Amino acid sequence: MQWTDKYRPQSFKDIIGNNKQKALIEKWVNEWKEGNPQKTLLLVGPPGIGKTTFALVIAHEFGEYVELNASDKRSYDLLMETIGESTTTQSLFSNKSKLIILDEVDGITGNQDKGGTRALNKIIQNTKHPIIMMANDFYSKRLATIKTKCQVIKLPKIRSPTINVNLKRICKAEEIEADPEALKQLAKRSNGDMRSAINTLQALSEESKTLNMEDLENVTQKTDRSTIINATSRVLKSKNITHIRDDMIIDEDPTLLMEYIAENIPREYENPKEIKKAYENISKADLYFGRTQSSRNYGYWRYATLFMGLGVALSKRETYKKFSKIVSPQSFSKMGKYRGKRNLRDNIADKMVENMHVSREIAYSMFPYFEIMFQDDKTAYEISSFLELEDDEIKRFRKKKIPKKFIDKMEKERAQRMQERQAEWAEEYKKDLNLNNSDEITDNYFEEDSNELDSIDSFSDEDIDEILQENLDITDSINEDKSESIIDEASESKVDESSDLKDSNIEEDNKEDSDSKKEKSVQTSLFSFE
Amino acid sequence: MEGPWVEKYRPQTLDEVVGQEHIVKRLKKYTNEQSMPNLMFSGPAGVGKTTTALALAKSVLGEYWKNNFLELNASDARGIDTVRNQIKNFCKLKPMGAPFRIIFLDEVDNMTKDAQHALRREMEMYTKTSSFILSCNYPSKIIDPIQSRCAIFRFAPIKKEDITTRLEYICNEENFGYTDEGISTIVYFTEGDMRKSVNILQSAATEGEEVTEDAVYDVISKSKPQDINNMVTAALSGDFMKARDLLRETMILQGTSGEDMVVQIYQDVTKRATEGRMDSNVYINLVEYIAETDFRIREGANPRIQLEALLAKFL
Repeated sequence: MQWTDKYRPQSFKDIIGNNKQKALIEKWVNEWKEGNPQKTLLLVGPPGIGKTTFALVIAHEFGEYVELNASDKRSYDLLMETIGESTTTQSLFSNKSKLIILDEVDGITGNQDKGGTRALNKIIQNTKHPIIMMANDFYSKRLATIKTKCQVIKLPKIRSPTINVNLKRICKAEEIEADPEALKQLAKRSNGDMRSAINTLQALSEESKTLNMEDLENVTQKTDRSTIINATSRVLKSKNITHIRDDMIIDEDPTLLMEYIAENIPREYENPKEIKKAYENISKADLYFGRTQSSRNYGYWRYATLFMGLGVALSKRETYKKFSKIVSPQSFSKMGKYRGKRNLRDNIADKMVENMHVSREIAYSMFPYFEIMFQDDKTAYEISSFLELEDDEIKRFRKKKIPKKFIDKMEKERAQRMQERQAEWAEEYKKDLNLNNSDEITDNYFEEDSNELDSIDSFSDEDIDEILQENLDITDSINEDKSESIIDEASESKVDESSDLKDSNIEEDNKEDSDSKKEKSVQTSLFSFE
Repeated sequence: MEGPWVEKYRPQTLDEVVGQEHIVKRLKKYTNEQSMPNLMFSGPAGVGKTTTALALAKSVLGEYWKNNFLELNASDARGIDTVRNQIKNFCKLKPMGAPFRIIFLDEVDNMTKDAQHALRREMEMYTKTSSFILSCNYPSKIIDPIQSRCAIFRFAPIKKEDITTRLEYICNEENFGYTDEGISTIVYFTEGDMRKSVNILQSAATEGEEVTEDAVYDVISKSKPQDINNMVTAALSGDFMKARDLLRETMILQGTSGEDMVVQIYQDVTKRATEGRMDSNVYINLVEYIAETDFRIREGANPRIQLEALLAKFL
């Protein structure tokens, strides 16, 4: 039997400490008993200070009670169903009030407890019965509306001398030979949490019937939560199932804890067989984290935690008697260290993604080939200008810069080619234009267009839609011709002087992507209408 | 401007697509149609899934294909938000100058399950205006409702003859000499992956005047990170910390994927065994671990952690 239950105070006079609060609560109970309904009682305070004890003592006074705690679902419907009913009706056969206990009301949360707070508010307002609620965090948002309607009693942490007295009493009852100094330490370390102090005492001395300072060394100080370093070192240093389990309860992402443990396995364990076995457990843990993600079943976490905790711990034959510092996962610091190089890599990959219809992963896989291809000046030049790589990005694939002379030569050649091609295109366009005589059409069209726009007010919405659609169709065809004529003009004027590289680039775009140019113009016309 | 040969010689029309004749034949039917069912292209890397999708879009959508075509690959953010916003907005617009719009999602198996579920809604909402082409490596990673909304085309690795012909064609276009042994070595090594074949071809071409067997072997050994070899050696000799460092460096710095790492470790170990530098019994044991690691990575575990565990097995 748990000592926390065995030695739980049964009446007000058994409760030690908190005299002021005790008086208030006793008064509240007596008022109810005399038939004066009181506000709901809200007990607030950290864990292990006797909130539940108070509630049970009060329940004892009333006789009949209903209790709901965090393990029960507490949605609006459910709360109204189970408590809502009983709060507004009274038992037919007795006048006695029925006590309602709601534990951990600040934990009413999430989807499953939907509307829980709303239901609580309603119940508090309509109640004909005494209600006690307990919560840890006075400032919790969920209490904001509730606490104004309650009589709030704050219970502070229990002072360590008080805990010490209680521990001594239990030791006496259990016939445990305890070192007074050890008890004092235990009381101090429990950080005002009576429940944890009693639990620790039971864990350490129930079998041996003794308690001394050495026993305490196996217990880490009870902080609010164990740290990730603490958990890691516990897994690597201990083989004790309860210690490992307790210390692995931390406020961190469990996969981060896994990284910590994995990082430190070869730093602590020396025997290769142990490393092998420990890492196999890490691998299994990781597998279940993966399955958690893909199935959204967080129940798998429990297995993952066991593999990476107990599994790793039991992989060693014996605990090592050495001090090894717990190191943070190096792959994370490596990522930081290589950030510059990785950014460079990713920038190149992104340019490949954009121009080559590949994903980053595939882009990376092509890097080794680029390293070979880039040794050749011509290929390096062609690929880097295709992807528009910067100098430092080119350096990723080849040590030397592409020789300036070579670039100049290639660019001259390209300008030359471009000029020739431009001349050809210009020739073709001229032919086309002469055939279509498109200038006239364009002029006429714009006059008509403005007339239509003037009279547009008198149309209904549907009409406008129709007209717009028609206009669109016309502009499509017109703009094609127009864009061609623009290109034609541009190319004609620049044919002679295109030694300038920038111009030739633009022109090249004009030429080669005349298709996409057409499309662009269609798009612009669309937007202007919208 | 001319990019790397893989891009320069990417087939532009359905007729040019190499080695997937039976699929192309069926896809051609959608040309001149007013609608197209949702399609899923599944198959290994480098067999023409993206190329076929692009070529199909061009032939079905016609002149204004770029305006009516949305390509999102695995590197673009493709969470639920993308599906809900970008894809939805694209689907909502009326097609311009084409019978309908096409959304091409590359490597759908890398999308989260939630995003896939969001996608499933969009796929049935806009059937009148839009069609989806999805590509993936493993159809098993795609949720059933999406699979059932698609006509699934399985792309097989490209046949050796087809790759050979294509490589020879490229060499002729580029005025590069080649030997039959050179080409056949590439084809043997790449196992039906056209992208890899063309990359090796171009790399070998830049090495010398001619694509020869030696040049190809040189490229193949150079393009493999030396680190893998060192890493395996370190692990086998019991220096786990060094092996683990090398692993992390390769993965973090080069961005090598877990799947690639597994394959390269496998190849390295196999080479040791065939050259007699590793005992066959040790070898077969290691292969079992490698296989299991491969499986676990594909099942969604963290590749780096799994590979670290694999290296521990080498101790």
